[in-house]
Amino acid sequence: MNESRNPELVVDGFPPRRPRWAQIATSSDHKDLGRVLIAGALGFLFIALVELLLMRLQLAIPENTFLTPVTFNRMLSLYGATAIFLFAVPLALGFFYYVTPLQIGARGTALPQLGQVGTWLFVAGATVLYAGFLFTPSEAGVNPLPPLSGLTFLPNNGVDAWAAATGLATLGFVLIAIDLIATLRRLRAPGMAWRRLPIFSWAAAICSWLLLAIGPVLLAAIAMLLIDRNFDGIFFAGDAGGSPLLWQHLSWIFYTGAYMLVLIFALGAIAEIVPASARKPLFNRGAVIGSLVAIAVVGTLAWMQNMLTAPIGIGWMYFAMVMSLALIVPFGLIFFNLIATLAGGTVRMRAPLLFAAGAIAAISLGLAAEMLHSMVAVGWRLQHTVDSTAATHFALIGGAVFGGFAALHWWFPKMTGRTMGETLARFSFWTMLAGALLAFVPLMLAGTEDGQVIDAYKFFDATGVTAYNLIASIGAFVLTAGILMTLVNAILSREGGTPAGHDAWGGDSLEWFALSPPQPHNFDLLPDVRSDRPMRDIREAIAHRDARSERPARETQPVA
Amino acid sequence: MTPHSPGTDQIDTLLWIGFVAATILVVAVVGGLLYMLRRYRAERGAEPRQVTGGRGIQLRVGAGLGILATVLLVVGIVYTDKARETPATGAAGLQVADSEPLRITTTGQQWLWRYDYPNEAFSYYKLVVPVDTAVELDLVSTDVVHTWDVPELAGKRDAVPGKTNHVVFRADEEGTYFGGAATLSGEAYAAMRTEVEVVSPQEYEAFVESEKKDIQAAQDRVVSLIESGEAP
Repeated sequence: MNESRNPELVVDGFPPRRPRWAQIATSSDHKDLGRVLIAGALGFLFIALVELLLMRLQLAIPENTFLTPVTFNRMLSLYGATAIFLFAVPLALGFFYYVTPLQIGARGTALPQLGQVGTWLFVAGATVLYAGFLFTPSEAGVNPLPPLSGLTFLPNNGVDAWAAATGLATLGFVLIAIDLIATLRRLRAPGMAWRRLPIFSWAAAICSWLLLAIGPVLLAAIAMLLIDRNFDGIFFAGDAGGSPLLWQHLSWIFYTGAYMLVLIFALGAIAEIVPASARKPLFNRGAVIGSLVAIAVVGTLAWMQNMLTAPIGIGWMYFAMVMSLALIVPFGLIFFNLIATLAGGTVRMRAPLLFAAGAIAAISLGLAAEMLHSMVAVGWRLQHTVDSTAATHFALIGGAVFGGFAALHWWFPKMTGRTMGETLARFSFWTMLAGALLAFVPLMLAGTEDGQVIDAYKFFDATGVTAYNLIASIGAFVLTAGILMTLVNAILSREGGTPAGHDAWGGDSLEWFALSPPQPHNFDLLPDVRSDRPMRDIREAIAHRDARSERPARETQPVA
Repeated sequence: MTPHSPGTDQIDTLLWIGFVAATILVVAVVGGLLYMLRRYRAERGAEPRQVTGGRGIQLRVGAGLGILATVLLVVGIVYTDKARETPATGAAGLQVADSEPLRITTTGQQWLWRYDYPNEAFSYYKLVVPVDTAVELDLVSTDVVHTWDVPELAGKRDAVPGKTNHVVFRADEEGTYFGGAATLSGEAYAAMRTEVEVVSPQEYEAFVESEKKDIQAAQDRVVSLIESGEAP
């Protein structure tokens, strides 16, 4: 034992009283639950990729008979639910839940049991979705639009399983969001004013409020769908006083908000990685924070961008276009500030920054394509084509996969005490980048040029999209290979990575003040926060003191 | 694809304007990022400058982006309004009274498109319309949501149960245009195709007349079979 440990650490060194799995299963510690969310999300990323590959195999050649139409529609429905509800959103929440209390200098979360219930509701939702295999998964697509998702057209219980699964997961996300909001409001360290809050914690606060707004909207829609299906409801029955459009509005509010949530998470993480990697402060914190808030509000208000072909008034379509085009300003400002942060810095190109740069490129490409879709008349042409599949995938793979992997490489040393392998990370990144471009650029061309429609289980040779689809299928395999490399890298590095100190990257926020991995109570001592770069202040104070006393730097938590 | 209606002409123009703007934005972001990553890499051995930006530059950049967004908005509304206009029937087209468009009720049903012509003739899968004539499709659905999609002639529109949606176009050239459905509607969604055959007004009149006669003949045959007791 190191003699420099604090005497108050009397529990340190005690053997764990229960097996590790029992400890995790009963833990309400934000770090344990964050790891459950992150590990679960990465596991479901793998499953989503399997489903994507099965669909891309079916679409590799025209009029393929590899999958039956029903199997294809089931894969599509599972893929959509898995990618959004079991991968992208829980991954973002997992990182928020793990990192935010550390960043604000808290010893835990404010309402830990709420986070615990939320995390296991996510697991329950995932179980229900895949238990659908025991009878029949949903065939209603990524967004199960009534009347197709109604009892008349899909009388088996697949849609019920979908609704229960996404409902349980969404309820869990809302509970975690409530815990995060309470934690951020009540448990900030002394001196950690909102204006000094790290950007990633700001992103956590914004995403939590956003989930509080959009989560209940989807839960209400799901309740209506279940009532319609099981208790003769008429919410979405067009001929009985309800309207299928009601579901479209409610579901798109959630999906659009969740899309923004994923991007805010990614940009929040990137805004931590870029300054620390360039050894400079963020160019303008206020502009980035304000832009993240604007993205959450304005972006979600653009939900009708997904309904430009629906029978709604032209005024609503213009409203959606105003909101979508207004997003150019906050997204543009964030990209500008990230790039300006690099200027004049000394940029160390390690794996997190590499993935962050890939995320910026993919997100900007996806968003530019989405911008095109939001111009109403162009939307009539491009929406419901594979070009919209490609645009959404660029933005969300940029956010959740490239951005998520940037966050994973960045905070992995904090979670495990070890750095992820750099060489494998580089191989993974370049494979992923090549795969993403190969998989989705051809689809952009097929959708724009030839109008290939979305979600179809086959296409015809005469439509002239055969070559595009073959390349896209090959690209999907390359992308998957790249993603698998990082997943393998993470598994191998847990035990075999290079040991990292408590301050692996020279970051400015307080999570780097805790040990790696942090003790159960996060911090022995809480520093007095005096600026928006508290860890830098601590580092300077230590350097000052060490220079005086000529003591070597220690591996344990430094005492400010 | 080549646009073959005034509306799709406008969509094409707007698509190109938007494409140029989108390309500029992506090149600016990715180009700026790559330049900075190379220019300021740590290997050059300089100390990082601890500078941050003030409010002025944020306002200027934000205003520039705001102007771009506003320009795109105005251009988008102008071209969308033009694309929505019901085009007037041309000289070579079918002359309907009071220069009304030719109205054809279009019904989406799993997994076929049905077209009901003004003279009560109807056809499945294939829509026949006269060239140079303003056509308005009234889109309805008998079951689930379908999206009518013939990209060369018009933008997509949904057929939603309980609502009526509208598509207008004026085909500028005789020929056959292919399309289908663009919203997942169940098992045979991908096979739910359609074909628009654009013909001269005389051929159109002849088509709907013969179609009506055939339908009438078929119905008469059924009635006679029922009356003679040969069918239930």
